[in-house]
Amino acid sequence: MATIAEGRPLMVGVAEGSARFDELKLSARVFFANKTAVAGLVIFLVFVGDALLVQIAPGVLGVSDPNSVIPPELQANLENCSGTPPEAPSLGHLFGTTQYPGLSGIGCIDLLQLTMKAIRIDIAISFFIVLVGAAIGTLIGVVSGYFGRWFDEVVMRVTDVFFSVPFLILALAVGFVIGRTLFNMALALIIIWWPLYARYGRSLTLTTKEATFIESARAAGSGRLKIMFRHILPNVVPPVLVQISLDVGTVILIFSTLAFIGFLPSNALVPELGVIANIGLDLAPFGYWWTVIVPGAVITLFALAVNLMGDGLRDVIDPRRRS
Amino acid sequence: MKLWIYVVRRLILLLPTLIGLTFLVFALERIGGTTLFLAQYIDPHLTGTARQALIDQLTQRFHLNDPVYVQYFYWLGAIFQGDWGTSTTIRQPVVTGFLWFMPNTIMLTLIASVLTWIISVPIGVYSAARRDSILDQGVRVATFTLYSMPLFLIGFGLFLTLGAAWHILPYQFNVDLALLPSIPRAWFDDTNSVSYPTHILALDAFLHGDWPIAWNAFLHVILPALALALALLAGIIRILRASMLEVLEQDYVRLARAKGVPERTVNNFHAKKNALLPTVTSFGYLVSGLFGGAVVIEYIFTFKGIGWWTTFAFLRGDVGAVMGSTLVFGLILVVTTLILDILYAFLDPRIRYE
Repeated sequence: MATIAEGRPLMVGVAEGSARFDELKLSARVFFANKTAVAGLVIFLVFVGDALLVQIAPGVLGVSDPNSVIPPELQANLENCSGTPPEAPSLGHLFGTTQYPGLSGIGCIDLLQLTMKAIRIDIAISFFIVLVGAAIGTLIGVVSGYFGRWFDEVVMRVTDVFFSVPFLILALAVGFVIGRTLFNMALALIIIWWPLYARYGRSLTLTTKEATFIESARAAGSGRLKIMFRHILPNVVPPVLVQISLDVGTVILIFSTLAFIGFLPSNALVPELGVIANIGLDLAPFGYWWTVIVPGAVITLFALAVNLMGDGLRDVIDPRRRS
Repeated sequence: MKLWIYVVRRLILLLPTLIGLTFLVFALERIGGTTLFLAQYIDPHLTGTARQALIDQLTQRFHLNDPVYVQYFYWLGAIFQGDWGTSTTIRQPVVTGFLWFMPNTIMLTLIASVLTWIISVPIGVYSAARRDSILDQGVRVATFTLYSMPLFLIGFGLFLTLGAAWHILPYQFNVDLALLPSIPRAWFDDTNSVSYPTHILALDAFLHGDWPIAWNAFLHVILPALALALALLAGIIRILRASMLEVLEQDYVRLARAKGVPERTVNNFHAKKNALLPTVTSFGYLVSGLFGGAVVIEYIFTFKGIGWWTTFAFLRGDVGAVMGSTLVFGLILVVTTLILDILYAFLDPRIRYE
């Protein structure tokens, strides 16, 4: 079985229909044989399911206003809540409750509900950042790897510059300049994320470029653009997709950390896990530990699931890693 | 290739990175016009003609009416002369801020990297040597989980448990606030809580023979350093374990075993040394992670280093400090990568031919 798969995934571009289907079946079998990867996939699907439900039918989960930290029904009768400290996790509030900093003494924002809302936004931003960053980076990387010469040199020196600043600080600096909003946070992370894919896409292009089928395409008279987009790109995309699946877990760690240190101004809070943790920042040292630990643990679970899944996918793409 | 040729080539490659880095910071400052840039030099309380006069003076000095590339060179000139603008958070020149806060961060990162090293090397080696044992499985689960944790959860988890809840170690500020009044004003500036001459309180107190304060200040470094180490060691252990597993498959290790060298010696002598070499390359990753991580960790523990200052400045809209830190962190990373690359080429001659 392993011998059939040897070297195959790199040649997707020229595979015939039925061969491609066989390969998909084999890939699926390799992936599903990996128990931890499947566990990661299941957790990931639960998160995605939650995000979709909140988007399409928030009522099913008992969520009323997906975009605000304070639910409207709470907004209406704030007096009922005032003076109550955050409640610890219990059967009534599985994740406990937290407090909105702007409204002191209101401790009845249900963390489970807030988390369910936040997962939707977190998944959306992390996919947005990684997909846009990967698309821009990979395209630049493929062109740079294929053309080589001065263009390649310039692109690589530019990526050097982006790698020369620790990414958290670069993100802070970019956010500082373009303004502290959720969208700008995503934008700042795209700006620091594309160079990674430019390098990855370039190195994949350099290895693919030497393959015989590229040579024959050139001999058959294919133009540069056709070779790049018709022959090289399809071979670069699968490993890039695996990298994307891994990065979705990494990027959520970075932007939730940025949100935690207060990237978003406190008068414009959105339900995002790092923001929720930031809300609990002043409460947690006084014994209300769950206000920070719960959102942190949810992020960890998501990143863990994605990393497990990504590891499984890497085994599918790279047969040498299979054991 | 001779080592010196490699060094020269590496230095030449450094030039575009340095130009790019400075240009990046310059561009960030200027992307929305000159308002952000001027804010570094103008006191916000200044109004009317005095303000206009200062703006005119700055416009002339930095040639703000000339093309952008001309402006860049005047800006770079000012940077070279040590004029990085003024920080509104500390009401001092930005460079003074670096002098004050950088030593604390350097001490923190040094202790954190030592901690990372002494924790991760034995665990990585042992985990690889006892592959698939219960301990190895445990290490893998632990590092995988740690690897998936956001930095703030690691930091804040330690802050809450060892600090706020169990009071095992001090968890806020560089020294107990109760001790502040007892520090002699001869070498301590009370308004900015800066100590002299090294600006590292533990070291300064030690130099001045004030043992209780030195000890107390030293204790305040441990928890943030531990948090930083925890955040980084998962990555290091994974790299070390993988390279150790690879080395253990090599012929010379097999030969050592075959000729009857005890397993312990094989692991510690034949395998470990060779497995450590590739791990040294990940030092670059370590350094980058240390300084990036310091931003968050120092903020959580209110440890007054440059990371704390950067976050504080970011939240208070202090342009000079944010842009200055970006440049300084960039320069540190560029220079350390350069040193590590040269060191690595010195240790492993094969690198020079790539």
